[in-house]
Amino acid sequence: MTAIETSGGPPGASALAPRAAVSPMLAALRQFGRSPSGVIGAVVLLILMLVTVFGPHLYGIDPLDIAGLPFTPPGEDAWLGTDYLGRDILSGLIHGGRATLTVGGVAAAITIIIGVTMGAISGFFGGAIDTALVKVTEFFQILPPLLFAMVLVTLFGQTLTTITVAIGVVSWPTAARLTRAEFLRLRNLDFVKASRAAGAGNLHLILRVVLPNALPPIIVSATLAIGVAILFEGGLSFLGLGDPNTMSWGLMIGQNRNYVLDGWWTVTFPGAAIFVAVLAISLVGDGINDAINPRLRKRD
Amino acid sequence: MTAPVLSVRNLSVSMQGSNGAVAVLENLSFDVAQGATMALVGESGCGKSMTALAIMRLLPEDFTVTSGSIMLDGEDVLGAAPAQLRALRGNRMSMIFQEPMTALNPLYTVGDQIGEVLRQHRGLSRRDATEQAINFLKVVQIPAAGQRVRAYPHQLSGGMRQRVMIAMALACRPRLLIADEPTTALDATVQAQIFDLLGELQDETRTAIVLITHDLGAVAELADDVAVLYAGRCIEKGPADQVILHARHPYTRGLMACVPQLKLGPAARTAPHSLDEIPGMVPPLGARGAECAFLPRCAFAGEVCRSRQQPPLDAVDSGAAVSCWRHREITP
Repeated sequence: MTAIETSGGPPGASALAPRAAVSPMLAALRQFGRSPSGVIGAVVLLILMLVTVFGPHLYGIDPLDIAGLPFTPPGEDAWLGTDYLGRDILSGLIHGGRATLTVGGVAAAITIIIGVTMGAISGFFGGAIDTALVKVTEFFQILPPLLFAMVLVTLFGQTLTTITVAIGVVSWPTAARLTRAEFLRLRNLDFVKASRAAGAGNLHLILRVVLPNALPPIIVSATLAIGVAILFEGGLSFLGLGDPNTMSWGLMIGQNRNYVLDGWWTVTFPGAAIFVAVLAISLVGDGINDAINPRLRKRD
Repeated sequence: MTAPVLSVRNLSVSMQGSNGAVAVLENLSFDVAQGATMALVGESGCGKSMTALAIMRLLPEDFTVTSGSIMLDGEDVLGAAPAQLRALRGNRMSMIFQEPMTALNPLYTVGDQIGEVLRQHRGLSRRDATEQAINFLKVVQIPAAGQRVRAYPHQLSGGMRQRVMIAMALACRPRLLIADEPTTALDATVQAQIFDLLGELQDETRTAIVLITHDLGAVAELADDVAVLYAGRCIEKGPADQVILHARHPYTRGLMACVPQLKLGPAARTAPHSLDEIPGMVPPLGARGAECAFLPRCAFAGEVCRSRQQPPLDAVDSGAAVSCWRHREITP
């Protein structure tokens, strides 16, 4: 600044030039870049995704074909060995990752869509609507999720679609409660009132005013929901309720679980894959949480 | 005289508490003409903000209007359907809130937020709305408006945010602007600037203003009429200069005595030595009887005050009206 302002201008006239505006999303992204664990998780997840997207084209063995003798140990014939039917484990990992990650992603999406819709309506309107929706949420919450999912899969068939939908349908109450709490907190804030006073309708208020402000915890829980869904799919497959026609990591463990002692590699590699994927997703979730939680945020 | 922009008649609001309905606002009536400013004055908890929220139809869930009418340009606000109401809010009546720090959405630029009002009520495109937003930022005297239009609220000071709120409120040139303690959260120099700005913009737009404030200096400067509220009842109203210079109700007189005066220069001789206060506090909701609500705190309370109900607003010759049984005896 070259001279001190002496005119009685409005405030800010003498202030520094306005700083370049950074959108909150971009700021959060930058902050995420500063969290080492988050970046590691994101890189690992990206590698997994690349492998499952392009791997099947590069590695020519079908995961359901019998590629060699049963229980071939890892070696030159099969890099990661074969399972009890002689199917290639590496091919299973590559193809199965596709199914597993898809189930995780889609099931988490279903979880969040149902949960956020219920929670948003419930928290925003309050009153009788809230009471009714909370009752519905509680009903779904008291059902044991694994048992409920097993029932759904048994009823509607052991396909990947059914499994995905079942996982989504049993997992949404947590997201609903989280969203409801955020909406309850936000709906009486001044800027929501101010928007209403400016003529905004309920739909606008929910989608454009309250929801964006409620997003941080929802994004974190959506990320973690992917990991939970992957574990869930593994659990269902382990119990023999996987889709036998589509290779997935859970299915590999489930089908080979009786032969752990005959060929450790049959379950260890898919188990490790699930472990790495869920860990990476959790790290990403933590990184996002750190990035958007103002109390943990470092000053720019 | 033309028809008033805002006409509030016998407005009563009650709160549904755990022990039944409690009156929050009783029989409030006032008119605001085009280009005029009506100030609502009183301590915290007197129902000033509830009046504002009732006019905007923004009362919290457990508050209901039990009787009365609110007309905006002859249109019944209390009977408006939701769609009608949305068309009124932000367009023909708008409101500035007390806390500029929290009244703007942290996730949108100020340009987006001003533009949103215009897009909704005027059907402007995003580009036109942003252009208009820049104009309005200039109108409310925000420097570097072209850049600030892309600023987020956290990048602006309290005074600037309140200017943005004013820009938002006036974007559609409303007939009525309700300013609910627009300067309470700001520091003193900025307060004066905001009041000046409101005055200037009112001269330009001929907007009727309902000003809710504690600041009697601002009332003297800005308001044409004043209504003094006490415990949800209007106890004195009239032209601003009348009420301020010749306050009749003991409560109003008490309020005036509470205005701090600088002991500097020639004023030092007449200024009181200590800051006055009104003993006691506003009776809480539910503890308000039929008799004069100010009775327990009133230095002039007599037998007539205890034995009778809250007095009606008694018109005095100057055009003011006052609700006090003894005002003719005690007015100096």
